Amino acid sequence: MTATKLMLNEITRVYHDGDTELTVLNKLSLEVKAGELVAVMGPSGSGKSTFLSIAGALLTPTSGEVLIDGESLAGKNGQQLSKLRLHNIGFIFQSANLLPYLKVEEQLMLVAKLADMDKRAAQARSAMLLERLGLLHRRSAYPNQLSGGEKQRVAIARAWMNDPAILFADEPTASLDASRGQDVVAMLAREVKAEGKAAVMVTHDERVLHLCDRILHLKNGVLVSA
Amino acid sequence: MYLALREMRFAKTRYLLIMAIMLLVSFLVLFVTGLAGGLAYANASAVENMPATHFLMQQDASQRFARSIVGEKELNKARSVVGDANAQRLGVQMTTVTGGTDGMKTDITLFGVDMGSWLAPTVVSGSAVSNTGAGEVVVDRKLAEEGITVGSLLHDQTTGLTWTVSGFTENQSFSHTPAVFMNLSDWQQLKQQMAGRAAADPAFAAPFNAIAIQATDAEAELLSQQLEGTAIITKKQAVASIPGYKEEQGSLMMMISFLFVISAFVLAVFFYVITIQKTSQFGILKAIGTKTFYLARSVVAQALVLAAASLAVSCMLVAVMQAALPASMPFQLSPVTIGYTCLLFIAMSLLGSLVSVIQVARTDALDAIGRAAG
Ligand SMILES: Nc1ncnc2c1ncn2[C@@H]1O[C@H](COP(=O)(O)OP(=O)(O)O)[C@@H](O)[C@H]1O
Ligand SMILES: [Mg+2]
Repeated sequence: MTATKLMLNEITRVYHDGDTELTVLNKLSLEVKAGELVAVMGPSGSGKSTFLSIAGALLTPTSGEVLIDGESLAGKNGQQLSKLRLHNIGFIFQSANLLPYLKVEEQLMLVAKLADMDKRAAQARSAMLLERLGLLHRRSAYPNQLSGGEKQRVAIARAWMNDPAILFADEPTASLDASRGQDVVAMLAREVKAEGKAAVMVTHDERVLHLCDRILHLKNGVLVSA
Repeated sequence: MYLALREMRFAKTRYLLIMAIMLLVSFLVLFVTGLAGGLAYANASAVENMPATHFLMQQDASQRFARSIVGEKELNKARSVVGDANAQRLGVQMTTVTGGTDGMKTDITLFGVDMGSWLAPTVVSGSAVSNTGAGEVVVDRKLAEEGITVGSLLHDQTTGLTWTVSGFTENQSFSHTPAVFMNLSDWQQLKQQMAGRAAADPAFAAPFNAIAIQATDAEAELLSQQLEGTAIITKKQAVASIPGYKEEQGSLMMMISFLFVISAFVLAVFFYVITIQKTSQFGILKAIGTKTFYLARSVVAQALVLAAASLAVSCMLVAVMQAALPASMPFQLSPVTIGYTCLLFIAMSLLGSLVSVIQVARTDALDAIGRAAG
């Protein structure tokens, strides 16, 4: 286990749209250490999704290097990246996070199954995570029986299931009201500390910033402190 | 299978409905296949059950028994190539007889064969006809439905001849009519009557319609080179040339093929629509590290489960129906045919799910990020 969970070295990403070139990220660098919850803010179109996709091994940068838990992503093929995402990265998306046809517990077990985790160990871990996120009594519910806040808490639990090094959240509170948004991010922050992991969260929600360790703004293709 | 089965459990109505459609289509496939088999049998079983491999016919007879006339010259030639026992005279004549309980008219097909040869029919009840007996015939069991029994008289309309039923054989039909077997001396007499000659003219050599041959393909080839004005056709060709056979089987086969294509399309459309609906789910699954192969397998597994389940139910329905159908209904479906039909149906279902597999493969994990549900 390394202290640096995520390392971005001079990441540049250029989109080609016909003849025009659009440099969305311009030599962006970032280091996130274990136990840190970092918030990334920025207006629409500033490149937050691009940043998160590159850091989350979903998109390759035009230049620059990404290291997850000390492991460089350079030169990995699609399958290797998919495997890396499964084992080392947790994701929480804006919405439609959960599969409508899986019960809460099954959402977590699916991830364990994909990773070939031992079934007994997986059941124990899933119960532990659901317990910590206050969802144990909802474990047999389908997503359509859950509130928005509960859904995002299940998403957090699922993201932790495979014991990833780092967790990426894409506006996790966008579809929640203020107090539920606070709850969800508070739990996220608590899990980061409890598991000694790191998390990067893209957000527009000012009310959750006090729960974060660092707040960065994406401006002109780089991240700057507020 | 983890995802596949759980999704089907969750969206029961949706999957049950599509299963119902698949069930109806697969039942129809099996039913029409059975019907085609039954009709083919009713049409051609007498020829199909003959232990011959080839038939020698007149060149310009369009492979039809009724149009062909061959004689002793061709027979001797054939026997010199394939051996005496392996080439046998075969007379085929359709006619109408009266007989049975209420003197009803029935269409039959007369077969003139050497009763001592391999062309002689297998007798299942009553007694066989010898080559020396006169005016005795072995008839297909279907005639029993008309009230014909052993000892009944069959009166031929055209020639005025009368034959006594000496025994029954089974599964011997030609062009949907029951077969009636007679020995060659009775055949000679029949042809003589038809030619308008006085009875028992020993100088008259009755022509027959074909020579049934048991031979290898190489021998048949050799024979066809040596004999001019004749054609050697395989049993399969002879069956296909029975009047109405090709037309009947052709239209049924077309129906069956259409049903197969329809089943593939129904599944293709169904899976395509739900796969499109699930694009964002697939994006998320891929983002969290699910392999495309796993997702594709899940779609294929669903198609397989649907196809297999509907096939299982329709096979049961077919079995029930087969037991309930009246014996006169031409329906024949062997376990082997059921097996092949099921395999083909499953193959078509897999083909139908292929479009969705491609769609799944195309889904980008990037879809998961930065895009709100609405
Ligand atoms: N695939 C793409 N092709 C071309 N331009 C893109 C593509 N994805 C994003 N962009 C552009 O890059 C910029 C940053 O987009 P994005 O990362 O989605 O920003 P944000 O998430 O902050 O709104 C936008 O101007 C957008 O139009
Ligand atoms: Mg965005």
